[in-house]
Amino acid sequence: MAATIDRAARARRRRRGLAAGAAVLALSSVLTACSESSAKPVLTWYINPDPDPPPDFEGAFGLDGIAERCSTDEYDIVTEQLPTSANEQRIQLMRRLAANDSSIDLMSIDPVYTAEFSEAGYLAEFSEADQEEIAGNKLQGALESATWNDRLVAAPQWANTQLLWYRKSVAEKAGLNLDEPVTWDQLIKAAEETETRVSVQGNKYEGYVVLLNALIQGAGGEIVSGLGRGEEMTVEVDSDAGKKAAEIIEQLAGSSAKDPDLPVSNEGTAEANFAGDNGGFMLNWTYIFLGHNEALEGDLGWARYPQTVEGEPSKPPTGGINIGIGAFSDHEKEAIEAAKCITSTDNQVTYATETGGMPTAEDAYDAEKLRELYPPELLALFQESIDEGGPRPVTPYWATIVNAMLGKWHPQDSVTENTAEQSAEFLQNVLNGDSLV
Amino acid sequence: MSTGATTATPAAAEKARKGTSDRSRAENRLGLKLVAPAVILMLLVTAYPMLRALYLSLFKYRLSAPDDREFVGLNNYVTVLTDSLWWGDVFNTVVIMVITVAFELVIGFAFAMVMHRVVFARGIIRTSILIPYGIITVVSAFAWQFAFSLNNGFVNGWLPFIGEDFNWFGDKWPAMIAIMVSEIWKTTPFMSLLLLAGLAQVSEDTIEAAKVDGATWWQRLWKVILPNMKAAIMVAVLFRALDAFRIFDNIFVMTRGAQDTESVSFLTYRQIIEQFELGMGSALSVLLFLSVLLIAYLLVKLFKVDLASARGER
Amino acid sequence: MRAKLGPSTIIGMIAILVWCLLPVVWIIMLSFKPEAETAAGSPQFLPKDWSWENYQSVLQDDLFQRALINSFGISLIATVLSVMIATLTAYAVARLEFKGKRVVLSIALAIAMFPVVSLVGPLFDMWRAVGLYDTWLGLIIPYMSFTLPLAIWTLTAFFREIPWEMEQAAQVDGATSWQAFRKVIVPLAAPGVFTAAILTFFFAWNDFVFGISLTSTTNARPVPAALAFFVGPDQFNPPTSTLSAAAVVVTIPIIIIVLIFQRKIVAGLTSGAVKG
Repeated sequence: MAATIDRAARARRRRRGLAAGAAVLALSSVLTACSESSAKPVLTWYINPDPDPPPDFEGAFGLDGIAERCSTDEYDIVTEQLPTSANEQRIQLMRRLAANDSSIDLMSIDPVYTAEFSEAGYLAEFSEADQEEIAGNKLQGALESATWNDRLVAAPQWANTQLLWYRKSVAEKAGLNLDEPVTWDQLIKAAEETETRVSVQGNKYEGYVVLLNALIQGAGGEIVSGLGRGEEMTVEVDSDAGKKAAEIIEQLAGSSAKDPDLPVSNEGTAEANFAGDNGGFMLNWTYIFLGHNEALEGDLGWARYPQTVEGEPSKPPTGGINIGIGAFSDHEKEAIEAAKCITSTDNQVTYATETGGMPTAEDAYDAEKLRELYPPELLALFQESIDEGGPRPVTPYWATIVNAMLGKWHPQDSVTENTAEQSAEFLQNVLNGDSLV
Repeated sequence: MSTGATTATPAAAEKARKGTSDRSRAENRLGLKLVAPAVILMLLVTAYPMLRALYLSLFKYRLSAPDDREFVGLNNYVTVLTDSLWWGDVFNTVVIMVITVAFELVIGFAFAMVMHRVVFARGIIRTSILIPYGIITVVSAFAWQFAFSLNNGFVNGWLPFIGEDFNWFGDKWPAMIAIMVSEIWKTTPFMSLLLLAGLAQVSEDTIEAAKVDGATWWQRLWKVILPNMKAAIMVAVLFRALDAFRIFDNIFVMTRGAQDTESVSFLTYRQIIEQFELGMGSALSVLLFLSVLLIAYLLVKLFKVDLASARGER
Repeated sequence: MRAKLGPSTIIGMIAILVWCLLPVVWIIMLSFKPEAETAAGSPQFLPKDWSWENYQSVLQDDLFQRALINSFGISLIATVLSVMIATLTAYAVARLEFKGKRVVLSIALAIAMFPVVSLVGPLFDMWRAVGLYDTWLGLIIPYMSFTLPLAIWTLTAFFREIPWEMEQAAQVDGATSWQAFRKVIVPLAAPGVFTAAILTFFFAWNDFVFGISLTSTTNARPVPAALAFFVGPDQFNPPTSTLSAAAVVVTIPIIIIVLIFQRKIVAGLTSGAVKG
């Protein structure tokens, strides 16, 4: 597995590169403006962790690179790394914001938590002009995830979506034609026949609810609806769509196609299983292409997310990162300018080529650099997926909904035909504050 | 003027008495002054926050929705005490407490017996027994998590009756076993040292006398050694039981409460830190505190030993 | 019974050594496996290729360095302050007669049994209001209060063993009271104070609950919390062997302290708990 070799050494190089960059930056600012440098504001940007740079990479990579390029004569941007899981990132940020921390200028927020941050008053507001400027060239799906109460409350930086990644050799052996839409049922059966796996995210964490949400939406349902009104949401899990989703989870959990670590699997373990001996099919995010296309030597195939119900278009999960401005920041103006730079088309293109996080800016998909790296049909599929995908419900109570869903849908082998009904009742109780979760 | 008059009183006996009472009063004052910083600090970080928790527990209060804060009386307590999640977690915690303490007591006692007899290499044994005691619980949790892990663990390979692809963290009871193994490994040494100290206080003569009377090893253990160690065993069990009831670190690292392995402490942490439910979380804090009090009370009753006399004052 | 060295004792000794050291050796072995080996799955006990790469990357990791500094700084300050305050208390309890002695000991006992998690909510709420959240002081204060009971017992037990009459004897011999204190009492009390300090340090070094709840950045995040949030090349999973290397690094100080002071630590642990 060429992709994983010597990753730690690369991490080392990145850190050293960063330190060197910072030193150069500090030195140049001392040389140019001795007295001013102390007054120059430093913006702190809380970032989600990036993958490691490739071994031959020079300079600052990924988000660190963007921070370096977006630092100007008026301000410098430094990054502060958050933990790996989206929920853990949310917890760290929320606690600081609850303490009215002025050191949070910029933050990377998972779209699903954007509403919660905004509702709590932790995000500085954009002016109408700023909203228009940021929204200008962005994809509709990305904008929706950054909008709360009819205002754009964060700047969409990059978009993510899940595809069906597969081994061409396995699909061929199973006689599965992936040029046509496939269903979950076909997929599981194909894996069973070929003694391979369908790798998904099944740990007791938000990522598993992403899968559930996609299954339910794929059958035309929703987990909750009426999101605008907070606690007045209507629970919709107990529906035909919910039952269909439970059926698929039950089928997978009872199948030889499931990963042995299904109840604890996440994006990373799914990737390892897919790259391993029994790898066949995997549902995972866009970044897979950069890590595995070369390593699998032409065997990596991709298709749109599988259908829950035959004939009904699938609703691929979407995600990404929004940039929010801390409500207590001392440098709000500078931070808003910085956010525009961070989410600029140029930086989105660079970021997509470096890490595989796809742009939210429509025009970025035409960029030369991107077209060189990704096959055009893959780029088109990414765009289609983001456009037609199903976002998770935008609500301040998403974290609560996640925990309530996990309470009944995890572990996978406990899922039965009654799960949809039970989880609806439980979720309703939780939202009313009558049940612990 | 008046002082001069009183000291001029010729009654020497009264003077002496007054002197001692002065001294004892001064000693009293000095004693209070010396203990004051410790007492204030200990209460500042426990009593005051607990009172605050008591107050907050009467509200429906979510940190990320501060405007929705409302007084709900004892509603939070009613919700918790009628909730199956709470009782499930209480059950898990009690199971962990009973099983780990039982294993620790038996293994710790065996270790104490060995250490008691060892004459050479005491330093090596003592050093190695202190390593699990000193090691960070989080490190122990990671070491065992990796040991039980599906991809990187040696446990599946070493245990003959376990399949190669058995996932310890995929189901409740295997995951509980992994958690308890880490807990037992880390804390048995502490238990064994306490028991060793107790063992040292059992007089050799009594044991010899029993031996001469023809008592078997088993009889000597149950009739002579254990009864004489009662105080040491009691202290060790009490402290370890309360410690085990608070189990948090191992669960956080190994399962994060998945597969229904959550403890009461972890539930409380999740409500407050992950869901920012300060009201509900405070109610759980109060209940957790009361549970610990209850367990301490029951254990002390069970052993029928006055705690203060065993522990604090001679 | 004592001096006999039967086969059962030897087996017992081996059992103790295996019990205590196996997981430590295991994590050391893991720390020498190259990250690529564990990422691909490596269930055997020994590394296939031995490598120092994990240690290099851990020691150069900025986040980990900061956590080490935080942990050392916070634990040391908390230890020094806690032992100082505990010394005063233990002296009073061991030597003076005053009302409320039992109350002091009962409070200490209650604190030792306190479920720390139940303080997380109110402390977090208080700390964010007064600006102590995510600061060194915000951890030092709770560490001090929770190490005080241990320090007070250990020191009280030690102080009760000190023959205080020697102080008066020295004064009779012509020494000033300061000289008598310094030359006679300090050398007698020092080992006890030192032992209490080690135990206190262990406690603070080990803490996890406060470490994750009352911090959120490298400002004050201590080692155990940093380990739990360790980020590796895989964005979604902690890196097994790099994390193991970090775990070994933070265990080394413990092993050194234990190697040098094992006798004192055992004495401190047991005197405080049983004889006291």
